[in-house]
Amino acid sequence: MSFELLLLISSVAGFVGAMSGMGGGVVLIPALTLLGVDIKHAIAVSIVSVIATSSGSASAYVRNRITNLKVGMFLEMFTILGALVGAAITLISSSRPLFIAFGAVLLMSWGTLFLRRHQKWQAVERQDAPSHWLELEGSYYDQAAHQTVIYQGTRAYVGGPLMFCAGLVAGLLGIGAGALKVLIHDLVMGLPPKVSTTTSNLIIGVTALSGASVYLASGLIDPRMVVPVILGIVPGAFIGTRLLVRLRNRAVRGFFMVVLIVLGIEMIVRGITGCDGAV
Amino acid sequence: METLVGHVLLIGVLLSITLIIAGLIWHGVTAHQLGFEFEIAGTNLFRFALADLGQLAAHMVSPRLLISLGIIVLLLTPYVRVLASMIYFALVEHNWKYTLFTAFVLSVLTYSLFLR
Repeated sequence: MSFELLLLISSVAGFVGAMSGMGGGVVLIPALTLLGVDIKHAIAVSIVSVIATSSGSASAYVRNRITNLKVGMFLEMFTILGALVGAAITLISSSRPLFIAFGAVLLMSWGTLFLRRHQKWQAVERQDAPSHWLELEGSYYDQAAHQTVIYQGTRAYVGGPLMFCAGLVAGLLGIGAGALKVLIHDLVMGLPPKVSTTTSNLIIGVTALSGASVYLASGLIDPRMVVPVILGIVPGAFIGTRLLVRLRNRAVRGFFMVVLIVLGIEMIVRGITGCDGAV
Repeated sequence: METLVGHVLLIGVLLSITLIIAGLIWHGVTAHQLGFEFEIAGTNLFRFALADLGQLAAHMVSPRLLISLGIIVLLLTPYVRVLASMIYFALVEHNWKYTLFTAFVLSVLTYSLFLR
């Protein structure tokens, strides 16, 4: 697996990931395993790259004050525990269930997108007391709508535990699990879409670190792969996000959903038939 | 706090990539190839970082060390961000609830960084 090839693949993964809003891991891991990389090593490399892409993009959103730092911090308490558990499960698991789990998560992510495609954000009517105590409210200036949006997050007691599961998926599969997290923020907690996405972005970085520590401890992080992957995925993602803002929503979403279905089915099939690239 | 967190994240990523590219260029120039041999045996971030700092102190700077430091900086970026948030919640906002939540996150992360 040459340096140059890894660099190329990661750039494509970062680009497609950013364009589709899914993050590089979703494309990177299937690509790496197709080329013969063992899935656990691919997961470990991917989770490190997730830290890079998350921190890079989150810095911009945070500085634009769209991300809600308190919501993020509160939910991180749950995701980091989930990631530790998820990564530990991956360590003791065999390859094929991981392939199937990966494919299943991709298909579920497709499903969540499909479900959300027509929904408009509705402001939360009544914020419950625990969520109010947790100070889960905020506002941001929406540049597209030219207005300040005030919102309140609610149902934190459901959102928290669900985020543990999202963290588990992230640690298990080395991805950001952004689709799951955004879904939780959106549907369960009633946050506006831009706040959901950007806050999820922030949480992903810390969650990935948590999982990465487990992989580091088990020696699965291979610098020979990490270096080209990071150097490829960060610029790829950068270009992808630049391009994303110029494309129409429907085109992006359609592209995205196709990517998810194709990769999801492919991973499941490989898990079931045992063509996992291992020699 | 947004400005602080945003800049911590940005500086972390940029610094990490700079170190990695610097190490890579150095290696590429001396070894005439981009591929390299490098393994990180099962370890935790704390020991990994200590080993690297030890080399720095001994002036044994090498391309591998730069790359290694770059990876460490990358991994520590979210950690430093959480630490900065905690200090800010405590000292600037005097928000003890969130100082506590952030301290929890920080302790779990610290525990994970010491895992073996």
